[in-house]
Amino acid sequence: MNLLLPGVYVAADSVLHRLDPRVKMGAALLLMALPFAASSLSSTLLLLAFVTTVVFLSTAPLPALLRTLHTVFWLGFFMFFFYLFTTPGQPLVVLGKIAVTWEGVLRGTIQIYRLCLLVVIAALLTFTTSPSQLAHGLEALLGPLEQLGLPVRELTMVLTIALRFVPTIFDEIDKIIKAQESRGAHIRSNNPWHRVQSWVPMFVPIFVSAFRRSEELATAMEGRGFRGTRHRTRLYQLRLTRQDLFASLIVVAVSLAVVALNQLV
Amino acid sequence: MLIRVENLVHIYAPGTPLARAALRGVSLEIGPGERVGIVGRTGSGKSTLVQHLAGLLEPTAGRIRLDGIVAHARTAAARAQRRRVGLAFQYPEDQIFEQTVFREVAFGPRNLGLEDTEIATRVHWALEMVGLNPAEMQERVPFSLSGGEMRRVALASILAMRPEVLILDEPTAGLDPQGRRDLLARIRAWQQETNLTLILISHNLDELARVVERVVVLGKGEVIADGPARQALSDSELLHAAGLDVPLPVALLHALQEAGWKVRTDRLLPEEAVAEIAQARGFSEKRP
Repeated sequence: MNLLLPGVYVAADSVLHRLDPRVKMGAALLLMALPFAASSLSSTLLLLAFVTTVVFLSTAPLPALLRTLHTVFWLGFFMFFFYLFTTPGQPLVVLGKIAVTWEGVLRGTIQIYRLCLLVVIAALLTFTTSPSQLAHGLEALLGPLEQLGLPVRELTMVLTIALRFVPTIFDEIDKIIKAQESRGAHIRSNNPWHRVQSWVPMFVPIFVSAFRRSEELATAMEGRGFRGTRHRTRLYQLRLTRQDLFASLIVVAVSLAVVALNQLV
Repeated sequence: MLIRVENLVHIYAPGTPLARAALRGVSLEIGPGERVGIVGRTGSGKSTLVQHLAGLLEPTAGRIRLDGIVAHARTAAARAQRRRVGLAFQYPEDQIFEQTVFREVAFGPRNLGLEDTEIATRVHWALEMVGLNPAEMQERVPFSLSGGEMRRVALASILAMRPEVLILDEPTAGLDPQGRRDLLARIRAWQQETNLTLILISHNLDELARVVERVVVLGKGEVIADGPARQALSDSELLHAAGLDVPLPVALLHALQEAGWKVRTDRLLPEEAVAEIAQARGFSEKRP
């Protein structure tokens, strides 16, 4: 329970929560492409304003949303320095043979902004869509690939189960760490050698319990008559509503506007 | 070791919609050699509290002092104090990882940096404590054992560290009745020998009544009662409020009292209840 994962689904009743998962996934994909399409200031501002509005509509808790940015901190950090030192242009600070340029600062900042926006959009999707809905939506979106022989239903079932057990396994890890620490293991020690030594007492129990769990789950599924995928029906069918249509139109309109504003500087 | 819990608050996942207060201001003191039972319904904060006692969690507010030293601190002194506290989690068999029973039980003592001969002595002693035959068991693969045997091995691995404070979270859940009795009797005997502090979480109050002298009742993260076991475990109103049932002998005596018998109800053990009933009947036989 201590290890609350960034971007984990938060149940609520917002406009975003009620949207069809297919619409949300499509919209998220489109929106995630936009930071790279928006090259002018006005288009960037429009996109930023739109994403901010969606954040408020989602009722996602702001601190939790910002915490998801932690996950890309090091990636952003290295990207920034990469652009800082490799972009040619007007030198700002010269360190021997390499120079920090104005253009580098600007491009580095833009890349970080894009990265952050990507993470926020992805987090908005996972905050407002339950894992089972995500899988359901994915199944619907990938459905056509079944004609090509891709086992879409099996894959989404695997994905659903995997997502379902992420928090469970994190709880388990937390418990094992504490159990081994109370037997004197140095899992949270500052000494790297001690930490490496404690991998075996940590990972063996976690794997053992994961295998046991999967066996139990398989038995439980068989016990309830789960027979693969043929002729499976669903209790909840995905149905597009007027709201979904409306949301799709808005996202498409904003996307077109962002691209159009690129021409305007 | 003197354990002081000062106004302890623990909130899981603070600052998120999933925030949940497990402890809301718990204060208590446990002295050396005490035998304390912690009871309360599921979710009352028992497990969170004992993890704090072992210094495994960081309090949201308040603190735990082990002989005056703040338990969760990242200092050498705090670490040394934590090593004197042994905590067996619920289902401790989940922590097993070694290739042989001997190595599994030796894990704790080895982390204490003991000599090999001392480790071997302790492993043998600990296996005997939990009712396993060391000669027969020590080279076996723990994962090939039965559930009950695995539980005993896991408990042995904690006993082998010879803690001064031993905390057991539902140690006997899933053991057969005779195994439970034997295990608790051995731990109780060891406790008497060494003046160990014993802290026991259990839903089985009949079992608890045999071991502890003091009972702390938790409800919704607060201490609702803290007192002598005889008093707390015979208070049906209190225990019902905490979502628990009185031990069977107490329930029987309550029923007899309601039926008009002159009996005391604070007799927690079956043999005590029998003596009480015999005495009461003796009185009634004298009447014409």
